[in-house]
Amino acid sequence: MTETLISLVSILIGIIGANITGFIFKKYSFGVTGNTIAGVFGSIFLIKSFGRLGFNPLFIMQNGTFNTSLLIINCIVSFFGGSFAVILISMLKSKMNNNNG
Amino acid sequence: MEDMLFYDRLQFAFTITFHYIFPQLTMGLSLLIVFFKWKYLRNNIEKYNNTAKFFMKIFAINFTMGVVTGIPLEFQFGTNWAKFSELTGSIIGQTLAMEGMFSFFLESSFLALFIFGEKLMGQKLHFLTGFLVFLGSWASGWFILATNAWMQHPVGYEILENGKFVLNNFGALFTNPWLLPAFLHNQLASVVTSSFVVASIGAFYILRNKQTEYGKLFLKTGVVFGLISSVLLAFPTGDWNAKNVAKYQPAAFAAMEGIFETEEAGAEIVLIGQPNMVEKKLDNKIAVPNILSFLTYQEWDKQIPGMDQFKKEELPDNVPALYYSYHIMVGLGTIFIAVMALALFFLWRKKLYSSKALLWTIMFLVPFPYIANITGWYTAELGRQPYLVYGLLKTSEGISPTVSSGNTLFTLLGFVALYMLLGLLFLVLVGKTINEGPKPQTH
Repeated sequence: MTETLISLVSILIGIIGANITGFIFKKYSFGVTGNTIAGVFGSIFLIKSFGRLGFNPLFIMQNGTFNTSLLIINCIVSFFGGSFAVILISMLKSKMNNNNG
Repeated sequence: MEDMLFYDRLQFAFTITFHYIFPQLTMGLSLLIVFFKWKYLRNNIEKYNNTAKFFMKIFAINFTMGVVTGIPLEFQFGTNWAKFSELTGSIIGQTLAMEGMFSFFLESSFLALFIFGEKLMGQKLHFLTGFLVFLGSWASGWFILATNAWMQHPVGYEILENGKFVLNNFGALFTNPWLLPAFLHNQLASVVTSSFVVASIGAFYILRNKQTEYGKLFLKTGVVFGLISSVLLAFPTGDWNAKNVAKYQPAAFAAMEGIFETEEAGAEIVLIGQPNMVEKKLDNKIAVPNILSFLTYQEWDKQIPGMDQFKKEELPDNVPALYYSYHIMVGLGTIFIAVMALALFFLWRKKLYSSKALLWTIMFLVPFPYIANITGWYTAELGRQPYLVYGLLKTSEGISPTVSSGNTLFTLLGFVALYMLLGLLFLVLVGKTINEGPKPQTH
């Protein structure tokens, strides 16, 4: 049950990561709305892809025992998922526009 | 056990209600976006293109929120409803997986291309990406409704000795007689919501005397789409759905219409009344005789079985909630037709943009299509009770026996807090986008 809550918290951390990245690196920012959207997908993508290495919500709550270290790893990965998504999408966007001349 | 069932149902009801705020807008809005983009391709008037891109931003915010709030539902099948997933997984897993694999990826990939790829692709391909977003979002509705239709009216299955349901006819999932009317009704309801959202943003711009050109376009389009979809929602799709309920779930039909006792010659339609579960009657009712029989069977005197014809365990377990949900949905639907017809009349008389009372009404009506959509879903889900799979698997048999009610309550409180935060974020983002308005193309 708590796994579900963890996955939501993890997405929120991704949103925060994306917005902080956008705030610090203005050239990559899409504004609050765009950064938030990128943050959601970035964190989900990274957690879904790499969470099975041992830090997805199910591992955090394995056998009903809460594992704080894994939660912290999960949050860090989510944060970077959001950050990377903003940078990656921004680079992709400018690449697409440049290709068009 | 009773406690666990109550909290599991409460948690699922809360999370799915909150989730459904978002897809009901995206499905309808995608159709309107395609319409605006198509108008731009035909007329080459820039404001249509800017409008399509403006609403795609609102679409993107809603889509993202839909994804976030959809994740707990996926988890809940495994955590709270493990027995249900174990018994029916080989059937509902098919349609749910197709929803993820086909619709979600179609929708999300082409959404990104629509937002970023206009310059690269040119206008015709840009229109195509918008169309594929629309196709993805409606396909998503189709697969979810196919899952729900199987739960409402199970077809193409067999039950193994260990109690598990398996599919023996894949095609039956999509030719289920429950599916098409439910899908059309649901999609039209989401077009109603989107039309009201578009019209209300238009009314807001006109009242604020800001972006008035766009305001007029939004209002006009919202009113026309709103009236057409509201009428089609009542007839034929609403009528078709009600006939399906009368045919396949007669106990639910009696409960939602508030028929406690079977009438000898023709059933009346109840406009207003309060179910009295102690005395088994409707208090203070206003009813029109024989109309329900006529609407359902086109025969004035056709008998419709009341709740007295069914065993207690066959009846929905919360008759008042079902009755009110249904009547709120129908009542609001009737109001939508009236308001949109009036607005169209004013548009025809060229008075809509200056009629402040009507503009304020349209602007403040925007929450009500959401309420109507959600009460519509409550009607379907409460009507199916006490079953998860109608007539075959009781709701009480589908819960996870090892998850305690305390655990469910704790996470429910967590969801409430997190969803409040998400809701606030959503309102800020949508408010900001509406406040900025459509941006003219920069060349």
